[in-house]
Amino acid sequence: MDVRKLVQQNVEMDMTPMIDCVFLLMIFFVLVIDLSQKNLEDLILPRAEYQEPDDKPPENRPIINVLQNGAVVYEKNVIYDPSVHGKNYAPIKQLLIDIRRQGLLTKRLTLKEENIGGKMVGLIDDPILIRADKWTEWNYIGEIMKQCSQPEIAFWKVELAMSEQDKETGEKNKKIGGTR
Amino acid sequence: MSALDDVQEEVKPDMTPMIDVVFLMIIFFICIDFKVLESKLAAYLPKDKGSQSTVVEPQEQLSVKVYVESEGTRKYEHGGPGQVNPATGRLYRFKLEGHRTKWEVGPKPLYNLADVKQELTRIANDPSSQVPDKDTGGKKLMGCVIEAYPGTFYEDVAKTTDACSAAGFKEINYGGGLGTK
Repeated sequence: MDVRKLVQQNVEMDMTPMIDCVFLLMIFFVLVIDLSQKNLEDLILPRAEYQEPDDKPPENRPIINVLQNGAVVYEKNVIYDPSVHGKNYAPIKQLLIDIRRQGLLTKRLTLKEENIGGKMVGLIDDPILIRADKWTEWNYIGEIMKQCSQPEIAFWKVELAMSEQDKETGEKNKKIGGTR
Repeated sequence: MSALDDVQEEVKPDMTPMIDVVFLMIIFFICIDFKVLESKLAAYLPKDKGSQSTVVEPQEQLSVKVYVESEGTRKYEHGGPGQVNPATGRLYRFKLEGHRTKWEVGPKPLYNLADVKQELTRIANDPSSQVPDKDTGGKKLMGCVIEAYPGTFYEDVAKTTDACSAAGFKEINYGGGLGTK
């Protein structure tokens, strides 16, 4: 055996640790980067025991986040800031109109014409989710709901996000760790 | 070297796969803890809003009013009022300590959530709370409307809603609370 052959044998790499590391990294990123969470602000939601679990959220559902100071955030952009806009809620209205128009154009939202009191009304038949911090003043959430009910917006299926665990106090619903 | 020594050397376990699996499990459980399950409350709005020309029959509903007795003290774990957390770009979060709420279920004033649940359950079980159901032609439990007064927080409304659901109310509507303090 000459020296060249010996060198060639020695440089053969053991791939096992590298494959191990790749798998570890893959699992880590699959678990941490959940794309469905990209529209969710880091909020502490109020805990509720008797509400419906939101374990299979529809992909087309718009999500409006409301921060503690009443700021409205949509897809990480601050749309309405009470310290800037005060009682001018036009940005919220415009946001909801844009969501409706865009949703109908891309067919992500469905429009349902309904006869209400003898008049045909075009209603959005898909839900919209409002997520707010537990210590957000209710009037900000109420204002979004008021805008949702306007005929040019007509998101009548409003859903309010709650949590099965209060991240502030650590209180959990009894179901967690039990049947789940 | 004897044959016994050879056997002893061969049974030494290779710890590498076990350590791999342990690391995998550690990462799995660390990551899974980040995901707190969320729930949703369907707060369907009246479909006739804004269409003024329509006439809708008024429905009998139980009024549940929510007032704030004492807002409490705002406590910041990090930062202070108006300060932005550079990591998130959002204002630092506060929590309220000593926040107190008062309710009025129908005409009855109540000062804690347990009493609210009890009163709502009593009303829900009262036969006089049944109203005609237009869809089925039979009877159903009347709806309730939560009127959150200025200064109330989402937490107050959420807890009240939960109490209504616990008592068996299915139609829960919202009113009031749009004005600021």
